[in-house]
Amino acid sequence: MPNDDAKQQGPDSPTATPGQGPGHALAALFTWQRMRGYAKKLLTEYSYWLSFVLLLLIAWYTNPYFFRWNNISSIFVQSATTTGIIALGMTMVICAGMIDISVGAQVAIISGFCLVALNLTHSIWVALAVGLGVGLLIGTVNGLLVAKGHMPAMIATLALQSICRSLINHFGQGGPFTVADKADFDLFRLVAAGTIKIGGLKVPYPLILFILISALFAVIMQHTKLGKHVYAVGSNEVSARLAGVNVGFIKIAVFSITGLLCGFTGWLYASRVMAVAAASAGSQFEMDAIAAVAIGGTAMSGGRGKIIGTFLGVLMFKIINNILVAANVPTFLNGAVSGAIIVVAVLLQNLQGSKKG
Amino acid sequence: MLVEMKGICMDFGPVRALDHVDLTVRSGEIVGLLGENGAGKSTLMNILAGTFPPTAGAIYLDGKPMRVESATHAARLGIRFIHQELSLCNDLNVFENMYLAGEVSHLGVLLHKKEMARRAAQVFARMRVSIDPWTPVSALQPAQKQLVEIARALLFESQLIIMDEPTTALSTHEIENLFVIMRELKAQGVSFIYISHKMPELFEICETYYVLRDGAPVAHGRFADINDASVTEMMIGRQLAHDDFAHKPSYATADVALSVRGLSGHGFSDISFDLHRGEIIAINGLQGSGRDMLADALYGAIPRTGDLLVFGKHVRNSAGIIRHLRVGIAMVPRARKERGIHNDLSIYDNTSMGYLNTRFRGLLIRRRAEAARYARQRQALSIKAGTPKNPITSLSGGNQQKVILARWLETDAQILLFDNPTQGIDVGTKFEIYHLILRLAQSGKAVLVFSSEFPEIYKIADSCIVLYLGRINAILHRDPAQGEELTEKNMMYYATGANLEGMKHA
Repeated sequence: MPNDDAKQQGPDSPTATPGQGPGHALAALFTWQRMRGYAKKLLTEYSYWLSFVLLLLIAWYTNPYFFRWNNISSIFVQSATTTGIIALGMTMVICAGMIDISVGAQVAIISGFCLVALNLTHSIWVALAVGLGVGLLIGTVNGLLVAKGHMPAMIATLALQSICRSLINHFGQGGPFTVADKADFDLFRLVAAGTIKIGGLKVPYPLILFILISALFAVIMQHTKLGKHVYAVGSNEVSARLAGVNVGFIKIAVFSITGLLCGFTGWLYASRVMAVAAASAGSQFEMDAIAAVAIGGTAMSGGRGKIIGTFLGVLMFKIINNILVAANVPTFLNGAVSGAIIVVAVLLQNLQGSKKG
Repeated sequence: MLVEMKGICMDFGPVRALDHVDLTVRSGEIVGLLGENGAGKSTLMNILAGTFPPTAGAIYLDGKPMRVESATHAARLGIRFIHQELSLCNDLNVFENMYLAGEVSHLGVLLHKKEMARRAAQVFARMRVSIDPWTPVSALQPAQKQLVEIARALLFESQLIIMDEPTTALSTHEIENLFVIMRELKAQGVSFIYISHKMPELFEICETYYVLRDGAPVAHGRFADINDASVTEMMIGRQLAHDDFAHKPSYATADVALSVRGLSGHGFSDISFDLHRGEIIAINGLQGSGRDMLADALYGAIPRTGDLLVFGKHVRNSAGIIRHLRVGIAMVPRARKERGIHNDLSIYDNTSMGYLNTRFRGLLIRRRAEAARYARQRQALSIKAGTPKNPITSLSGGNQQKVILARWLETDAQILLFDNPTQGIDVGTKFEIYHLILRLAQSGKAVLVFSSEFPEIYKIADSCIVLYLGRINAILHRDPAQGEELTEKNMMYYATGANLEGMKHA
């Protein structure tokens, strides 16, 4: 990246006088012009890093125990078992120029079904398979409605949200889903609570899963045809179609993948809470996931965005919660916070956009 | 109203877009503003229309210095900028569009529709055009929309109307009509600044010219004192060898690449022709001749019936775009901004898109391979670009188009469709693209060029299929021995269907 900046400085830049020895070359890296270039890039393209560091400082200031490993790992576990993994799929959906507001209800129905499957088969893997299967199914229905039914994504996923929530309420009959068998309970609990020791640190499974899946999606978005096509569709659907992109397939794929991630999250979530309340499970997940994507610098209009941004966005979101808890802010205000974060993040994006134009 | 711009400078960051430009427009004068893309024409006009203030210099109206604060302020001063892309709302009707943001109402609440429609009708009467103010804009022809924009300017008593390439979407007849109206208004004291790349139009309608090159004023004077070649030279600063194309050899071979038999679809019917390797065929036709539809249909973008054979093999009519790409057809689409580029994507990604969709057979895309592909095309097409990681919108129109060309050249397609490939591109780049198309033909590619401009067709095509109302009306040949000769007169004759009119009367 720094090299790119250097090239853009043009001939009138004082740095464009090469051949004066290594000392000068080093000094040239830190000239005023270049520093301004770096700063500009930091403020625009990589603003999420800036917010992340800023937030870490604030968190440290308000909570002296913030950097304790227990706190850090619990932030990761909270991220992974709630909206962290879903936000990766949401990034794809938003980059493709759409939105999915059914993810919270998906998690509710999937986590309920996971526990039902667990009770019936006594296998956590069958429970996972059921979760992934149901997620894939719901996601694909979303995708088909948008791509083949030509419905606005907002409407299609709103309908699915309502359907999923209503179904799980019906099956749960108001009460929570729980694990009946003691042996199942103890085993399934370990999915979210289990750890492995790495260099003296207890690393929870969800932390590892979250990082691995994020890395996988970063590669998909930057280095595969699928990723490039997602950006292309979000940027200009007509051009994408004429360039030979299978636009319908891409739309279905991003929703299916998001559904699959909801399935995985539903399994993790069920393991963490162990009693899924049909009416409230996964509520606000869509808002939190969208907020994380927004603070991660992804353009809400599609076409631009990075997985690393979302990854940091998810963590930032949990850190903010962490700060609020430390400051004794009631949890009922969480929704207000995520709403406010979306507003501020998108406003900042627009501000940057208008400066560029 | 006398409008003078004096010593206008404009800096965008470190880039000087305009350097001490002067421009004077007298009452009832039509001024042609010329220059290549990126010469600063639009910037200058945006300053005049209040989009942004100049870095230095001043604007004088009737001798008084005036700061134009905003587009609304400019409109109040009597200056209106009609942009290249028309800014009408399709779902509103004509007068609602004309009064948008300037509505007449009862006590500021309820709209006074009848009054607005009446005044709109008055303006149309003054322009001597028959457009019903109650028609929804979506029902209008492109030319009529252009007229509505002008009417809107007149409605608010504009004294100076700036038109940026108003005729790109218009047919010859419609252009003539527009000029009649412009002359009429000129006689009433309205002045115009006319931006266009089309020389014949400029010579016909404008009296005085101003030429910009790289943001600097190069020349101004009267059109009567100059000719086509000297204007081109002023614009690009060097003599272009028009003669290069005069004795263009034909590279056509006997090898049929694309064979079309009885192709029909929405807007065109019963189209048959053969395209050989190394051959360049132009397809010409006015707006509404089905030219655009035919281009899309050959590429599988819209439904069709009939037969399409690529190197003797049938391509199913139900096959989608991707199938057409795979058999070796590639299309550089018209309307680059809407149908070609991906705004948010980098130059790399925009270049790679075609290759990825046709020849890529891997899991991970390697940066190095991508860079190599881009470097190869950048050299072949002499694309002028900074960092290829920058978004494609950082390039000028001509270079964007070259990136789109690069996208398809990387697919190694044997049949290339160019749909209006030089739309909104400066003269220098146009010529580069013509040379490129010739080189492609020489290397054995089969080329179809969809175009409305005779000078373009004549420079590259071996023959020209002229469409009229969706059917092939004539096939003109560069070599007169093969049939009717490709001349501008012949092309217009068949494109306007004049031959069929004649038959009716006979």
